[in-house]
Amino acid sequence: MILGMEREKKLTTIIMAGGKGERLFPLTRDKAKPAIVFGGLYRIIDFTLSNCLNSGIRRIYVLSQYGSLSLDIHLRFTWDIFRPDLGEYIYSVPPQQITVNRWYRGTADSIYQNLKLLDEERPKHVLILSGDHVYKMDYQAMLDFHLSKGADLTVAAVPAPRQEASAFGILHVDEDHRVIGFLEKPADPPGMPGNPEMSLVSMGVYVFGAETLVRELIADAKNKDSQHDFGRNIIPRMVGKNKVFAYPFTDPATGKPGYWRDIGQLDAYFQAHLDLLGEKPVFDLYSEDWPMRSQLTLTPPTKYVSHKKPVDITDSLISSGCELHEAQVSRAVLSPRVRVGKGAYIEEAVIWNNVRVGLGAKIRRAIIEDGVMIPPRFTIGYDHQADASRFPVTDGGIVVVPNNVTLEGP
Amino acid sequence: MKRILVVDDDDAIRLLIEMELQDEGYEVLSASNAKDALKLVETEPLDLVILDIRMPGMDGLEALPRILGLREGLKVILNTAYSQYQESFMSWAADAYIIKSADLTELKNKVKELLA
Repeated sequence: MILGMEREKKLTTIIMAGGKGERLFPLTRDKAKPAIVFGGLYRIIDFTLSNCLNSGIRRIYVLSQYGSLSLDIHLRFTWDIFRPDLGEYIYSVPPQQITVNRWYRGTADSIYQNLKLLDEERPKHVLILSGDHVYKMDYQAMLDFHLSKGADLTVAAVPAPRQEASAFGILHVDEDHRVIGFLEKPADPPGMPGNPEMSLVSMGVYVFGAETLVRELIADAKNKDSQHDFGRNIIPRMVGKNKVFAYPFTDPATGKPGYWRDIGQLDAYFQAHLDLLGEKPVFDLYSEDWPMRSQLTLTPPTKYVSHKKPVDITDSLISSGCELHEAQVSRAVLSPRVRVGKGAYIEEAVIWNNVRVGLGAKIRRAIIEDGVMIPPRFTIGYDHQADASRFPVTDGGIVVVPNNVTLEGP
Repeated sequence: MKRILVVDDDDAIRLLIEMELQDEGYEVLSASNAKDALKLVETEPLDLVILDIRMPGMDGLEALPRILGLREGLKVILNTAYSQYQESFMSWAADAYIIKSADLTELKNKVKELLA
């Protein structure tokens, strides 16, 4: 433990949390993507921050930008747990507008604009994370890998189905895990040797040698043709020139590739919720050896009210403070203080705080934002045309009900 | 003709560099502090900046990222009497770091190299 703490002194951890999250619209229309509700009572950034805490990392910079107030409020409410007098901190860093008069132009520019911060810390290693990923990862294990390889850059990597891999950076590695090729978001991702249906994708989790990082960021900032992005510009330029390694992200319990999801768009957001459900969920929130921290909400216990028939709930996550009357709920995730009226039917839905579901209303394959009032007998997810005329509907057919619309009953 | 901006709060040094570079055939502008230098970077076409570090008000390491923010890719030589700033990450954004000397050969060679 002392060794870990000593080692941490030479590590600076930066979470990039400034993206606009356009593909999560409308959920991101007034919030930062990492501040979006996930899994009932978490925000997406809680997973990365919990990983930090569980990895012994207690000195964290969060680079914020778009919708930063929502993120600041969450960090203040939930993550004000570090002791500055012990050298621990979590700081939210919006663009400072001191050296340059602009917003962050890309992921690499967000770090470049904060070079002074690295200069003051003088770390040996820099851990760069994203605030919009759902996974459990021990970053110390990755740092050990980085050190054992003597790497300039280590990129965490996980196999993903080839047809889904075109949204990510694809790594080509040799038998020693050294990266010998990198393709950012290729239309036709190459498969892995011996496993042609899977591609090895970059998780957007990086450990850099600090001096290498600074040199690369400076060179990138001077390059007028660059988009100032780690995936598009920094990593491809380093492969072949520097010692770049891919850290195989595995579940320590099984040794198999770990669960990792980039919550980049609405269908991924929805699907990742279904991964939380069932007796043996794909992503388990209940393991005690890797606790996930979230906001403590002061609510009464959830209340199930039976008039004549029982409340029927299967394979769901129901947060505290809810009230369900003789309703049928299956494969749903309910945030705190959701009220579901008698005879309502909910199937495969993500329902945020303080939603009211009226008597006999029916909801299927939907995301409902906080505070939405669903009138009695209203249906969502049954009539595609009616849904599409009122609400955003994703490519995967998920209906999103934002809280800036008033619903009229049938 | 290539245009060079010399930024130094020491009048004698600034004048010396200015004259020697003019002899080499460059057009030379000068500023005695970082604030004036930033104004010139913003308004004047320039090919290179020779930048002192220790100056009253804004120092050279503070001015450097601002210069590069205004003019991406503008060449900058840090020209200072002190070697310790080479360790600062902020100094790494410069194209060269030269320890000041009465003999300007090294500086002039670097200018020639960067403007080639």
